[in-house]
Amino acid sequence: MLERSHIQSTGFHNIGPVGARTGFEVRIRQPNYRSSRLSLIEGVDLVIDGVEYPAEQGRIRVGDREYSHAEMAEETVARLYVGTYFTVIVPKAGGLAPGVHHVASSIRFRHPYFPPEFQPVFVRDARHATIILP
Amino acid sequence: MSAFKYGVSLYSYTEDLGTVMSLEDAFDHVAGTGSTGIEILGETSIPTYPEPTTAWLDSWFALLDRYQLEPTNMAAWVDTRITIGRNMSVEEGAAQIAQDLRLAHRLGFKFLRPKFGVIDGELTPDPIWQPAVERNLDLAHRLDIVILPEIHSPTPIKHPVTDAYIAFIERTGTKNFGLMIDTGIFQDRPLNKWGGGETDEIRKKALSFLNGIKVPVEHLADVIQYVPFIQAKFHHIDENLHDHHIPWDRIVPMLKKLGYAGYLSSEYEGARDPWVSIEQVRRQHALIRKLEAEYDAAHGGNVHA
Repeated sequence: MLERSHIQSTGFHNIGPVGARTGFEVRIRQPNYRSSRLSLIEGVDLVIDGVEYPAEQGRIRVGDREYSHAEMAEETVARLYVGTYFTVIVPKAGGLAPGVHHVASSIRFRHPYFPPEFQPVFVRDARHATIILP
Repeated sequence: MSAFKYGVSLYSYTEDLGTVMSLEDAFDHVAGTGSTGIEILGETSIPTYPEPTTAWLDSWFALLDRYQLEPTNMAAWVDTRITIGRNMSVEEGAAQIAQDLRLAHRLGFKFLRPKFGVIDGELTPDPIWQPAVERNLDLAHRLDIVILPEIHSPTPIKHPVTDAYIAFIERTGTKNFGLMIDTGIFQDRPLNKWGGGETDEIRKKALSFLNGIKVPVEHLADVIQYVPFIQAKFHHIDENLHDHHIPWDRIVPMLKKLGYAGYLSSEYEGARDPWVSIEQVRRQHALIRKLEAEYDAAHGGNVHA
């Protein structure tokens, strides 16, 4: 089963060739009480050690499928299920330095049954997480 | 004298399910309260919603049998604002409800709660609700399922939203559409912890919702004929069986007086620390059973075990 925090320890790592990293990934538990069509997630914004990585720049992986920000907005069939995670893929030349980082996430959930002023709601989490390999 | 039926909605175990609790664990906790009914959220409990696998179906029926629980209500959603720029059509809304009716029937449920998207702060449902439901009344009748929108805070009983649902029932003459009361409408003291997805913005702006809209329990008399199912929303019950927000000592006698004999399906929505919900649900069952027994004893009826 997954960690209680939205941000998961496992899955936080650099991507791309060693020595020429192209970015990093963060694994996030689907924290809502019901499964969510991808189109109801308006984005996942990250802040790593105070540096902002807006949702529009990254991609999301659900299972084996990757979505750009624009593709997610139109995906009304595929769902994020309770008890599963998705991965935020962030481009960043060189990746993140090995060691402990402060990671904050904000998921923009659109709940159609919430009053319009609360669409979206921002579901936040923050914790320390560790990059092992450069 | 009429007697309540007791059940639990798996919504109570939100956050625990998927992190520290399996579906079978949840069945065990529900059965452990002495309940006869289990309520699920279709897209939460079914890992491949809307199409359960054969293995999952086998497991579902085996669990019902092992724990001697009957399916009560299946919660579903009509996500009207389906993308940022587009709302569901009537056809899409009707298809969503039809899909959930068939799924609920397949799993043995008698009630379906579709949660419609809303268009304002008073939770007025998207206007597609009426034609989308109406197109499904024959199907609901064939499947012997009652469709129940919920009357949920901040919408009170005496309100145009409720009136529109009742007008629909009276116009169509249907027996397959009714009202689900969420007991959060009776909340009469402020919440200090909302387990429904609290955010900084909601805490700042949704004051009526968090403070409670304090619907008088007497208003139940106006609608009880349309209410076959109640979600027993609550947020915190202390070790003295004192509920800090929901006035069960007024709700239970009123429901008894009105002859309510349907389910009270626990919906815990308080602190989401691991496993707290298990004990909270048990306290609610102890509290409501005690109040029901006291009412029965005072009115010469059966004392329930």
